[in-house]
Amino acid sequence: MKDWALSRRDFIKKCVIGGVTVYSAPMLFKPDIAIAAGVKESLAQSWYQEGKPAFRFDAIEKITGQKIYGRDYRAVDIPSWPDTQHHAFIIRAHIANKVYLGLDLDLIPADIKPYKIITAEDLKNNALTLPPFYGDNMLLDVGKVPDYLGHELAILLFDKFEDFMKAKLLLQFHEKFVKYGDDIVPYTALSRPPYAAWRIIRQESAQGVAGEDQYSTFSHGQFFPQYKGQKLEWPKAISDSKDVGERGMFLANALRQDMAENNDWFVLDKHYQTQSIEPMMLEPEAFNGFYDKKSQTLHVVITTQSPQDFFQQAGKVLAQSPLTKGITNLVVHSPYIGGGFGAKDHTIFPYYGVIASLFATAPVRLANNRFEQFQSGLKRHPFSISSKLAFDKYTLKIKGFVSDIEVDGGGRENFSASVTSVGASASQGIYYIPRNDIQAWCLPSHLPTAGSMRGYGSLQTMAAMEMMMNEAADALDVDPFKLRRANAMVDGDKNTQGATPLGKIRYLEMLDLAEKHPIWQQRHANKVKFDKANPDKSFGVGFGFVSKDYGTGANAPSAYAGVTPEGKLIVKIFSVEMGTGTDTSQASLVADYLGKAADSVEIAQIKLFEALELYEDDNPYIMSQEHQDKMAKDPRWTPVVVSASSASQSAFFQSHATKHAAKILFEESLFPAAKAIWQEAGTSTETILIEHAQWQNGQLTLAGFAPIDFSLLCKKAHSLGLVTGVMTHAFNRWEWADGDFKINTQLKNYPLDAIAVEYGIGASKATKATLNKQGFKVIPRQSVRYPKVQLNSAMVRYYTPCLTMVEIAVHKVSGVVDILQSHTWIEPGKVHVKQLVEGQIEGGLTMGVGHVLHEYLPADETGAGNGEWNIDRYKVPFAKDNGVWNINYTMLPAIAGSDESKGLAEVVMIPIVPAVVEAIYQATKKRFYHLPITPKDIIEALKK
Amino acid sequence: MSILNLTINGKPYGPFDVEPGMPMINFLHEYVNLTGTKFGCGEGVCHACVVIIDNDDGTSTTHRTCISNVMLFNNQRVRTIEGHAEKNKVGEIIALHPVQDAFIKNFSFQCGWCAPGFTNETVALMEKLKKQPIAKDQVETVIEETLGDHVCRCTGYVKYFNAAKELILTTKGLTI
Repeated sequence: MKDWALSRRDFIKKCVIGGVTVYSAPMLFKPDIAIAAGVKESLAQSWYQEGKPAFRFDAIEKITGQKIYGRDYRAVDIPSWPDTQHHAFIIRAHIANKVYLGLDLDLIPADIKPYKIITAEDLKNNALTLPPFYGDNMLLDVGKVPDYLGHELAILLFDKFEDFMKAKLLLQFHEKFVKYGDDIVPYTALSRPPYAAWRIIRQESAQGVAGEDQYSTFSHGQFFPQYKGQKLEWPKAISDSKDVGERGMFLANALRQDMAENNDWFVLDKHYQTQSIEPMMLEPEAFNGFYDKKSQTLHVVITTQSPQDFFQQAGKVLAQSPLTKGITNLVVHSPYIGGGFGAKDHTIFPYYGVIASLFATAPVRLANNRFEQFQSGLKRHPFSISSKLAFDKYTLKIKGFVSDIEVDGGGRENFSASVTSVGASASQGIYYIPRNDIQAWCLPSHLPTAGSMRGYGSLQTMAAMEMMMNEAADALDVDPFKLRRANAMVDGDKNTQGATPLGKIRYLEMLDLAEKHPIWQQRHANKVKFDKANPDKSFGVGFGFVSKDYGTGANAPSAYAGVTPEGKLIVKIFSVEMGTGTDTSQASLVADYLGKAADSVEIAQIKLFEALELYEDDNPYIMSQEHQDKMAKDPRWTPVVVSASSASQSAFFQSHATKHAAKILFEESLFPAAKAIWQEAGTSTETILIEHAQWQNGQLTLAGFAPIDFSLLCKKAHSLGLVTGVMTHAFNRWEWADGDFKINTQLKNYPLDAIAVEYGIGASKATKATLNKQGFKVIPRQSVRYPKVQLNSAMVRYYTPCLTMVEIAVHKVSGVVDILQSHTWIEPGKVHVKQLVEGQIEGGLTMGVGHVLHEYLPADETGAGNGEWNIDRYKVPFAKDNGVWNINYTMLPAIAGSDESKGLAEVVMIPIVPAVVEAIYQATKKRFYHLPITPKDIIEALKK
Repeated sequence: MSILNLTINGKPYGPFDVEPGMPMINFLHEYVNLTGTKFGCGEGVCHACVVIIDNDDGTSTTHRTCISNVMLFNNQRVRTIEGHAEKNKVGEIIALHPVQDAFIKNFSFQCGWCAPGFTNETVALMEKLKKQPIAKDQVETVIEETLGDHVCRCTGYVKYFNAAKELILTTKGLTI
C-alpha cells in the first residue's frame, strides 16, 4: 500500500471546502494487477486518420474490457488503497403509507451478520446530513412514515463478499425484514408544498409579432403563486394593474374566456398523460470509498455525470460532522460512466457511499443491482397535460394556446423545478402562438424521485402538442403539412415567453423535405398494398416535428488545450463522457486550429480549472442586473464557475470553450513559434498574416515559407518560453459573455470570461514569477460584457429542430405495433463527427419508441419503488422493436448565420413519439392520449 | 463450498473454494478481477454479461454469467472480452479481433457497457458460420436471431447490426 502523502503530487489541483481539501484524481489502476495492461500507442493513436476519427477516442478501451468505468474498480485496483474490499447494502422501504418500525435483525443468521448497521441515529449522532439540494431524512428515523417508496432506511456493512451476497439474497426481497405499523396512514407527500410552479403568459401586440408584445414573460418578467397546501394561488386578474402578475392573469383569463366563447375559433381541448420512466442506463450506479484515517483522507470512486456537484457538496457534508473531523482531504475519482441519460446527474447515490465509507473499517463498495436501481434511481417526470389549442377556422392560424400541466416530482426534489419550466416553455413546439397561458406545477409524491432524464420535460409537452396538431388537422379536414406550414415559426417570430429564437429557422424547409419523401407520398398506395398482403395487420404512417431547446441559461464550460515539448497535444474538459462521444468530438475539433487531433483527452476535470481563480456568489437565474454589473468589475468573478454535463451540452457549449482554447494556443504560441523558426532561417516575417497560414498533413504551411512540423513548433514554443497551454472559461445565458484580454502584446476580444495560460519550459524567471500555485498565469480580464439578466426570462433561445416520419403495422389480434421504417430530418448545425450524430439519431429514436410503446412504471405501490422491478417486467426496446434495418435520416447542411453546432442528443427521441401515435391512429382510427400505448390498450380500443 | 478450476482466456485459474450458488459474473469480478464482463440486469435479460465457453467437441456456446452458476464453468475453457485482442509480450494490445475492429470502425457502441456482450456473441457467431456457412440472404435474419436479445440503451442497435452484417458478408467462408 502506497502512502497517500507520497502520491499526492499525482493528483490534480485542489480546493478547500469547509476545511476539507478536495482533489480530483485521475483514474489509475495497478498495471501489474489489471488484466488489460494498456494499448500500444500506435494502435491508440490510429483513432484519428486522414483528418477525421476512424473510431471513437475511447473505443479500444471499451471494446477490450479495460477498467475505465466507476463500477469496475475494486480496492485492489487503486494505488494507495489496501487490498481488502468491504461491501455495503442499502435497505430501502417498499411501503410509504405505514410507520417504519425498524429492522428484524433476527432474520440474519449469525454467521453472515453485518459488522455495522448504519441508521438514522448514527447520522444524527454524528451530524451527518445530505447536502441541502437533496432535502433531509437521509436515513429514515424509526417511528416515521417513509417520504417515498424506496426511502433509505439503513446501510449494512459486510467484511466478506460471500456474507454480503448471502445476506443480500436473503433480505432484499424479504417481506418481513423491514417492520411497519399495521395502520395505513396518509403519504407524507400530501402534506408537502409543490416543488415549483411557473406561468408563461404572452399576448402579441396589435400589430402582430413585429410589434412590442402587449405582455410577455420576457419583457415583463416572471411571477409566481402563493401555495395554500398544494393549491396554487395566482395573483388576482386586474387589467390595468401595474403588478406584473395581476396584469398577466387578466390576459390569461381573457384568453381562456375567448377559448370558450369565440365562434370563429376551432378549439381542440385534450388531456394527455405520460408515464414514469426508468432511464435504464446499462451501468447501475456504484461507489467505492476508503477512509484512510492515517492520512486523514477519504478516497472515493463515483459514477456520476455531475462530478462538479459532488465536489462542491461532499466537502461541505464532511466538514460539518465531528465524525469526519479528522478528514482533511477528499480524493475524488470520476471515471467513464456506462450511460447516464440524466439518471446520474445530481444523483443522491454517492452520498450514501460516503456515509458507508465513514463507518467502514476498510475500502467499501456500494453497488446497486438492477432491482435497487429501479427502486432508487432518478426517473423521468410523469406529466398530466390539459391543453386547449385554438385555430382560426378560416386561416388555420393558431390563435391561442392554454395549458395546465401537473408534474409528478417524486419523493425528493431534484431537478423538478427546471424540468417543469422547460416542459412548459417547450409546449409550443415549432409553432408561432400569438396568445398563450401555460401554467405548470410540480408536486411531491410517494414515488421514486424524478430528475433530469433525457427529454427534460419537453419530450412530454412537445409530443402532446404534435398529437394535437395531428388531431386538429384531422378534425379540420386539412392536410397536416398544410396546417403546420400555416403555423410554423419563421425568422423573427417569438416564442411563448416573448423571446426570439437564435439562428435561422428552417422549419418550412424541413416540412418541404419530409412531405416529398416516399413514405408520405406513397402512404395511401402502400397501405392498400400492405393491408392486402397482411390481412391480420393494419398499416399506418405518421410524423411529428419538434424543436428542442438546448442549454440551461447558465452554461459555463471550461477547457484546456496544451502542448508538450515532444509535440503531444493534450485537451482537458470539464464534461463527462457518458457515451455521447464528447471525448471524441472535443479531441477532433481542435484540429481545425492546430492541424491535428488531440493525443489525449482528459474528461470530467473540475479542480483543474480552479487555476482560473474564478468564483461565483449568487444564483445566476435570479441575480439582479445591478449585482451582475457590480460583480463583473471583478475579473475573478463569473456568474457560474462550472455547470453540469448533460447530453445536449457538449456539441455547442463545451466545444465553444475547447475551440477557443485551441485558437488562442495557435495565435499566441504556435504561430509565433513558426515565425521565430522562419526568422531564424533568414526569412522576413514582418508582413505575413496569420490568416494565410494553413495546416497540411500535420505541418504548418504558408506560401513562400518552409512547412514546419507540429512537433517542431511545440518544441520551439517551449524553448522560447511561449504560451504552451491555454485554459478557457465561458458563460452563456442565451448569449455568450465576451471579454477583452491581453495575452501577449495585443488586446483582443474573445467570447470568454476567463483565460489562463501556462508557459513553456524556457520561460524566464520573471514570467514564472507570475504563475499561480497551479502553474498558470491568469490573464487579467480588462473588461467583460455578460448577457443581461433579463434573458433569464427568455427561458430558452437555442433550438434544434427534428422531424421524424414513421411507417408502422398494427397487429389486429395481438395489438403489437411493428416499426417498419422511419426517416428523420434534423438540423444539427456544424457536425463535428458524423457517426456520433448518426448514433444519437438512432439511439434517440429507439428510446422514443420505448417511451411511446413499451416503457411504463405504475404510479403506485406496484411501481418501481417497491423494489421488485427489472427488465423482465419493464420492457426496453430491442432491435426487433425499432425497425433496425430501416432507420434513415437526413442531416440538413449547416448554413451561415446558424448555430455552429447544435445540441441534439435529446431532440432526436421526441418526434418519433407523436409520429407513432398518429401512425397508430391512421392504422386503427383510434386515438390514444396516454403513454405508453400498449398492445392491451390497442386491443381494448379495437373492441370498442 | 465447491472447488472450481477453469481456464479463462487461455490461462488456468484455480483451485478456488467457492459458494456453489454464486453467479459466474461475481466470480469474474470478485475472485479474478476481470471486470470487462458487464453486469446489466442480473436476471439474464440484457445479455451484457455474455461470455463464451469453448466445448471439447470444437463448438463454442455463449452463456449469460449473471444467471449461470459458477460451477457450470468448472473445468471449462472460457473466453471473456479481455481475451480477444492480440497482445505483445509486455501485455499491450497490438491488434483487435476482427469483430472488435468492425464494431469500433462502425461506431457501434456509445457508453460501451453492452459492447462485451455484443462482441462475445458475434465472435461465437463468426466461428459458427465458419463451420456452417449460410446464404447471403440469411445474414440479416441470423444477426437478428443472434444479437436480437442483447440490450443497448444508447445506440438503437443499427451500427452493431450493420457492422456484423458487413463483417460476415466480407469474411471469406462465412456465407455461400
